[in-house]
Amino acid sequence: MEPALAASGGMDAESEAGIERTQAWRAEVSVRRYGTGNPEPGWASRPELLAYSDFMPGSPRHAYVHVPFCRHRCGYCDFTLVAGRDDLIDRYFEAVARELERVRQPLETDTLYLGGGTPSHLGPDGLRRLFGLLSTKLGRAADAEVTVEANPLDVTAEFVAAATECGVTRVSLGGQSLDAATLRALDRDHVPAHVRAAVARLLDAGLVVNLDLMTAAPGQALAAVEADLAAAVALGVQHVSVYCLTWEQGTAFETARRRGDLRPVDETLEGAMFELAIDRLEAAGYEHYEVSNFGRPGYRCRHNEAYWDCRPWEAFGPGAARFDGRTRITNHRSATTWITKMLAGEDATGDIDEMTAEQAARERLVVGLRRRAGIDRAVFLAASGYEFNQLVGSTVAGWAAAGLATDDGVTVRLTRAGLLVSDSLWADVLTT
Amino acid sequence: MPIDCRHIRNFSIIAHIDHGKSTLADRLLEHTGTVEKRQLKEQMLDDMELERQRGITIKARAVRMEYRHEGELYELNLIDTPGHVDFHYEVSRSLACCEGAVLLVDAFQGVEAQTMANAYAAINTDLTIVPVINKIDLTYARVDEVLVEMEQSLGIEPDDVIKASAKAGIGIDTLLAAIVERIPPPQGDPNATLRAMVFDSHYDSYRGAITYIRILDGTVRKGQKIRFLRTGVSHEVIELGQFVPQRRGCEELVAGQVGYLVCNIKDVKQVHIGDTVTIPGDQGAAALPGYKPPQRMVYCGLYPSEGENFEELRDALEKLAINDPSFEYAPESSEALGFGFRCGFLGLLHMEIIQQRLEKESDLDLVQTAPNVTYQILTTAGETLEITNPQDVPESGEIEEFRQPIVRTNFIVPAEYIGPVMQLCTDRRATYLKTEYLSPTRAVLSFDLPLAEVIYDLHDKLKSVTKGYGTMDYEMLGYFPADLVRLDILVGGKKVDALSIICDRRDADRRGRAIVKKLRGEIDRHMFEVALQAAIGTRIIARETISALRKNVTAKCYGGDISRKKKLWAKQKEGKKRMKSIGSVDIPQKAFMAVLDTGTDRQ
Ligand SMILES: Nc1nc2c(ncn2[C@@H]2O[C@H](COP(=O)(O)OP(=O)(O)OP(=O)(O)O)[C@@H](O)[C@H]2O)c(=O)[nH]1
Ligand code: SF4
Ligand SMILES: [Mg+2]
Repeated sequence: MEPALAASGGMDAESEAGIERTQAWRAEVSVRRYGTGNPEPGWASRPELLAYSDFMPGSPRHAYVHVPFCRHRCGYCDFTLVAGRDDLIDRYFEAVARELERVRQPLETDTLYLGGGTPSHLGPDGLRRLFGLLSTKLGRAADAEVTVEANPLDVTAEFVAAATECGVTRVSLGGQSLDAATLRALDRDHVPAHVRAAVARLLDAGLVVNLDLMTAAPGQALAAVEADLAAAVALGVQHVSVYCLTWEQGTAFETARRRGDLRPVDETLEGAMFELAIDRLEAAGYEHYEVSNFGRPGYRCRHNEAYWDCRPWEAFGPGAARFDGRTRITNHRSATTWITKMLAGEDATGDIDEMTAEQAARERLVVGLRRRAGIDRAVFLAASGYEFNQLVGSTVAGWAAAGLATDDGVTVRLTRAGLLVSDSLWADVLTT
Repeated sequence: MPIDCRHIRNFSIIAHIDHGKSTLADRLLEHTGTVEKRQLKEQMLDDMELERQRGITIKARAVRMEYRHEGELYELNLIDTPGHVDFHYEVSRSLACCEGAVLLVDAFQGVEAQTMANAYAAINTDLTIVPVINKIDLTYARVDEVLVEMEQSLGIEPDDVIKASAKAGIGIDTLLAAIVERIPPPQGDPNATLRAMVFDSHYDSYRGAITYIRILDGTVRKGQKIRFLRTGVSHEVIELGQFVPQRRGCEELVAGQVGYLVCNIKDVKQVHIGDTVTIPGDQGAAALPGYKPPQRMVYCGLYPSEGENFEELRDALEKLAINDPSFEYAPESSEALGFGFRCGFLGLLHMEIIQQRLEKESDLDLVQTAPNVTYQILTTAGETLEITNPQDVPESGEIEEFRQPIVRTNFIVPAEYIGPVMQLCTDRRATYLKTEYLSPTRAVLSFDLPLAEVIYDLHDKLKSVTKGYGTMDYEMLGYFPADLVRLDILVGGKKVDALSIICDRRDADRRGRAIVKKLRGEIDRHMFEVALQAAIGTRIIARETISALRKNVTAKCYGGDISRKKKLWAKQKEGKKRMKSIGSVDIPQKAFMAVLDTGTDRQ
């Protein structure tokens, strides 16, 4: 019997009790599959018996498509995209069609996610065309979650109509802020009114809306973040993602910072902004379920949860990464190179991250601990084949002693203090 | 037929650093036909990788050349020497094998500190000096002024000075003729009992020890038995010969000649520089005076950054010491750094070179502690302690007298910089001795200074206050009492032994402040606050705090981000591996050099 992963989605699984039930169920499935027939003593320390792809067998049930087009490149952005190169869109579609040939048997997906860049920049017709292409190889389960990222300026009535027609269930809106000064500081091409209008239009059409908010923009004060959070809540979106601005190599922002023309927000203030987001959104009824993600009960992003469950997923487009449970293959990160190579029938792979069973298990620890639910030892063992304590027992004991994590013997969770400095913890979890 | 002493000339080329010794050696090799022009490389004798990289000579090199002068064939043995002050002892060793020295002076730079130091060494050894002004091809050559400087500082007759350009090949033949005509031939009787001086050695992985010798009396032949006086051990001469510049074997070496011996000696420690070689038995010659062993001026701790590599480090040090007897090491341990070695060097350049070779040749990752000089302590019990590690300083109650090494230092500077150099030295508690003028525009300033002040940063400071024109040279005077203290550094409340220094009590506050401030910049923030303190005994004299890390969390970790983020985290892990943990504080390796920061607010 194929474990129906879709069962982990839905209303039920989003509540704490639901999650626990799901986890218990998953652990049980694994015990049934690997434990009951021949419970070899010490099997857990023989990971070769239990590659992750054995535990999550079959074809991926999640797919990501990268759309690398934007109207303009925002100063802080280092994503895979081209700005002002709409002339490439036709060839991009052709290249996606080529890449889809890799999929022999059409897949049934539980989640499908169009990210970017700006998928909405394709416009209503472009969106229809892309979904048309995808439908040849990517089928959908009955309750599939289909997300499209959109920029406020693109969310016209026609676009919303096209999205609904294509079966989109969820739109992730790159609003970033509802404060004009912050939007200017972030080099965005929209104003707060565009965000409000877009959200209203999407909610009216019955779509689930995620609103991206950014903190630590140059010059942004704590009060501005507070106002943004209140505005997001008032808009009634079901999901909010709060991202602290990152100064990436090679971006215009980073260059300006080096020259001294832009100054990052002080780290203490950055921390305060992050904590404020947690406090305000939790108080407003959003669950903080991963570092940057907040959702009303039942509205978590199932697609992203698949990443953090380390389930296999497919991915298409430049810079897109796919995963089979052990190996992550990332396509070439340059949009133009990827298109050229795909069309020339050449290998367009950028990076291959091939892990041993133990490395995969350690990676699972990191992405798992970034979730507020933390890691359940039994589930971890069943999924990775490794005893939690064997890998990081003493490390985590140290964290707990320092107030960075809690451990009741069953589940390990980072405390808020731990989460705030979590990047400093991973060096002790990952092996090279 | 053995060569007659009268047809041999042995000479060294000496000069201040970079005045063109090795380039002149190239020209001599070329003009005498020793090396064919097409095989000649620039500074051909600087064949160690480090020498080529740095463009300086580190090790003296001997070469035999043949030169026909007025119809007679002469054997010229040239020794190219290093100019850097750290390697001065190589110069003195070379001089002891020669009857003459070619003294080079750069036509633009003029007489500099090592010009004088090396020239005096040659004069003291009773050598004939052939003075040369080099680089006369330079547009800014100031030959006449330099002639005056040479006369004033060294009493050199201007008429004796040969004007040359090693680069352009000007004056080379005149120089070769002067070498033959002015430098006396070696004395010595080829028929007397063998007596030879060991002036260098190196280790060859196929042949074992190669012993460099100058024959003073007698003859040594292939197959003959010889004896080293120091060890008393006899060996058979398997091979002997001269450098041309590579090794070239011959049948015998006679009095006056310079060459090498191969005796199947597997352990270079058996070959002592300055030792005497003679025949076995009681008919042998008496020992030669030998050399003063090189003096180590600075010490530092070297530790493997991974504790388990201690044995590997020991092997690597041993291998290096084989070819460099001037370097010394002894095991020591530190609470902070574990097991390692205290190493002694001729100076900071020497230290840097050894460390570089260690890292390169043995692929070891090292933690180095800040260099310090040797101190002497007279204890209340009447015992004299040699302190090469600040950790070994006893409780203040046990110290009767704390002494530091003082060096006599000469600065040669353009007259307009006399003021700034005076200031520099007074700030460093120097005793002023005198000023002498080499010419109306150049002066020699002499001071007695603590060696510690001289080696840490005086050279750099001198260069900066004199726009690069000042040079300095120093020689050891001895140990003198001073008001010294041990300054300890505490990280997170724990004393880090490897960070302690010895300094003048009056400098302690300033040094302490500078060190903790520097450390603050070197140590990353932790999940908790880290206090950095400087203390004398139990008294805290400076404090800085590294505030706790407030926020460090990746915002986005979706499907495409994970691999990239993991690489970043892995890099952090690599970095962490190279740190030393003191308590729960990770200290990066280069922080152990932070104590060198003397503070710029020196008043
Ligand atoms: N213009 C000019 N440059 C010269 C002359 N002789 C040497 N040089 C340059 O001076 C620099 C130093 O030359 P070296 O021969 O390495 O000097 P050195 O005295 O052997 O240096 P150390 O061994 O490090 O003390 C090199 O860049 C040479 O090319 C010369 O006659 N004229
Ligand atoms: S719209 Fe989004 S993807 Fe495009 S440049 Fe701006 S931040 Fe980057
Ligand atoms: Mg040289």
